[in-house]
Amino acid sequence: MSASTLEAEMDDAGEATAPAARQSATFLTFKLAGELFAIAVTSVNEIIDVIATTPVPGADPFAPALINVRGAVAPLVDVRERLRMPSGDMDGEARIIVLELPIAGESTRLGLLAEGVESVRDVALDLVDTMPELGARWPAEFIDGVAKLGDDLVILLNVETLFSPTV
Amino acid sequence: MVSHLDVFRQEAAELLDGLEGELMALEVDPADAERVDAVFRTMHTLKGSGGMFGFSALVRFVHGLENAYDMVRDGRAKVTPALIETSLAARDHIQQLLEVSGDSAAEEALEQSDTAQKLAAQITAFTGGENEAPETAQAAASPGPKNETFHIRFTPDPGSLRNGMRPDLLVDELIECGSGTVALVTDAVPDLDTLAPTACHLGWELVLTTDRGREALDAIFVFSEPEEVQIERVDTEQTDAPTTWEVFETAPEAVAAQPSAAPPQSQSKDAPAPPAKPAQKAGSLRVQARRLDDLMDQLGELVIAQSRLNRLSEQIADLSLSSAAEEIERLVTGLRDTTLSIRMLPIELVFGKFRRVVRDLSGELGKSVALETTGGETEVDKNVIDSLTEPLVHIIRNSIDHGIEAPEDREAAGKPATAQLRLSAHQAAGEVLISIRDDGAGLNLPAIRNRAVERGLLSPDDQPSDAELSQMIFRPGFSTAKTVSTVSGRGVGMDAVRRVIEDLRGSVDVVTEAGQGTTVTLRLPLTLAIIDGLMVRVAGSVFVIPLSSVVECVELDAAAARRESGRTVLNIREELVPYVDLSERFGLQGHEAVAHPRVVIVGTESRRIGLVVDDILGQHQTVIKSLSVYHRAIKGFSGATILGDGTVALILDIAAFVKLLSGDVRAAA
Repeated sequence: MSASTLEAEMDDAGEATAPAARQSATFLTFKLAGELFAIAVTSVNEIIDVIATTPVPGADPFAPALINVRGAVAPLVDVRERLRMPSGDMDGEARIIVLELPIAGESTRLGLLAEGVESVRDVALDLVDTMPELGARWPAEFIDGVAKLGDDLVILLNVETLFSPTV
Repeated sequence: MVSHLDVFRQEAAELLDGLEGELMALEVDPADAERVDAVFRTMHTLKGSGGMFGFSALVRFVHGLENAYDMVRDGRAKVTPALIETSLAARDHIQQLLEVSGDSAAEEALEQSDTAQKLAAQITAFTGGENEAPETAQAAASPGPKNETFHIRFTPDPGSLRNGMRPDLLVDELIECGSGTVALVTDAVPDLDTLAPTACHLGWELVLTTDRGREALDAIFVFSEPEEVQIERVDTEQTDAPTTWEVFETAPEAVAAQPSAAPPQSQSKDAPAPPAKPAQKAGSLRVQARRLDDLMDQLGELVIAQSRLNRLSEQIADLSLSSAAEEIERLVTGLRDTTLSIRMLPIELVFGKFRRVVRDLSGELGKSVALETTGGETEVDKNVIDSLTEPLVHIIRNSIDHGIEAPEDREAAGKPATAQLRLSAHQAAGEVLISIRDDGAGLNLPAIRNRAVERGLLSPDDQPSDAELSQMIFRPGFSTAKTVSTVSGRGVGMDAVRRVIEDLRGSVDVVTEAGQGTTVTLRLPLTLAIIDGLMVRVAGSVFVIPLSSVVECVELDAAAARRESGRTVLNIREELVPYVDLSERFGLQGHEAVAHPRVVIVGTESRRIGLVVDDILGQHQTVIKSLSVYHRAIKGFSGATILGDGTVALILDIAAFVKLLSGDVRAAA
């Protein structure tokens, strides 16, 4: 999806906001290995196309490379291994989600590799369930919960544990 | 926007740093009139500017010290070791006073603290209560101290206890001044049912015989309101003083804080050194460090933009464009050098602080240590300087506490009783080397070994080299000290040192020789911002080597490489230089053998190594961007930079490579 359609969807999401009394939060949803994951929009800076990356020899496969984000050097993070998913090649739908997060006490800008960015969605917090123990292969510490949005099951990621430099 | 208050605090902090140095120089040469003047001026400036910003406790405290040095200046007193000791402690107290904001409750609490009271008493004892007022100066001129008897009536304000006033301490101080009688005045104590428990209803009456003079007594009450105190001299012996009891103002300091009541004489006294005038050096300008950082950031962007321009001009290949690009490159290089030089400060700024540390610590531990510093003029980036103090203090503390022996032990070992601690700095190959060398007992390697085995860092069968054992002291929580002293032994020090130095992209090394001493060497990059780099290509990736560590570039003779297979050593002008193939080292995929690989010979002071690369691409002004938490721990890279085409390149950390390779060579041997 291009940046303009994303903006349009963001507007849609704004209009479709649930009645004010209901507590909700806004998430960016994206695809990895066919599953739909969500991350709070408050930590998202921008979404960019996949650009040239510089591999870092000796780096953990979790953060294998560096990218140039508007003149700043940022690590490129691939969470697939951490989420125990196969790390295949990415196609034309792939994007880099630029996040700004406090990591180990310092504000860090990083690029998150996604197989495709889907949309921005409001999720009513009372619709969020905890992950069933046996329902998934993902390590529980990286998951905040799951929400059912229409036909989609969205997995809400815990950015604090997921992006921690060491597991 | 920085407030004037912040500016004052910063200036005062600088004054105090300078003061420390002056005081310690005075300790060595007490007759140095220039230094006495400098100390006096510092006190005077502190008092003057402090007053402007409402630091009244500071003003009152500094006033006594100023008097003391005024007396020394006029030849009415001499610099004594006790005065230096008191002044140094007073300096620390002033620092605390500066930290609490003007006139707050914290300031009062600090002012009333036992330390403050004790210092004030010591200073008063030195000045003998010398006052600023001219009539007192005359009194002081009269020969010799003599015993005088005073009748003192002290009735604190009922509300004073709530302000943290401690009448008992004041009375104790009076008693210390001489001999006499103390009577408690209870007339004002009301009936129990009307008694307010938080009010002070008591008074004191003392008859005190002292040789310290009236001003010493005045100084004790320097913090009290004048109406609370009456001091009257009882004429017991023949003097030219008034024979009647005399009531006089007690606190010239308090008066100074209330200009309306200031006696005119004290103004003329102030005239030679006007207050609140910060020391200014001709042709220099005070700039906020924050602005320098911003300037540096912008320069970094400019350098990156300029390398993009260079690349475009190469592609377009237009003569007028390329000449403009070249001119801009030249200008940017000049701007870069100037900006970097603004940030460079002599390392003496850090060294200066250690004279005090060494002096205090050796006194505390009963050791005799002479500190010698060389290379203080070596310039280092301001941010490096700021971060260096703490690690160096740790190292020096360790040296004095653990390394250097007690004087008796030193003599028994045939060494001079006074230990040498050498702090030196110099520049080499784009790095600053700072070494701290003591001639103490050296690291206790057997004890380190035992401790390492105990902690499971070594197995009992391991045979580590001395150098490896020495490095153990940088492990987190490692200490062989049996007891934790106030000085060191908690095992956090050296670990913290290593962390700080590595954060600065430097390294730390320790070399020890039993009975001869220990040398800790810190290697730090000259600057944290922009360097000249050499771009090289390795298996499709571009890396940057700091140009300052490049010695030369040679071609790797393929035939020679084959012939020497199994041995990775080059013979360069009769010197054997080990080399490493970077594509192999980095495990880079898709590497095809290049017909003529190049070897970049890089070196630190003591060692040279070769790095085999596919091609050398040219020079590059390299804006160093630090690596994120994900990559910081990887050895071999000191940061990353952005190239002209917008891609990211890693910067090689040559010192780490040299170390790595030396380790490999040893392991292979």
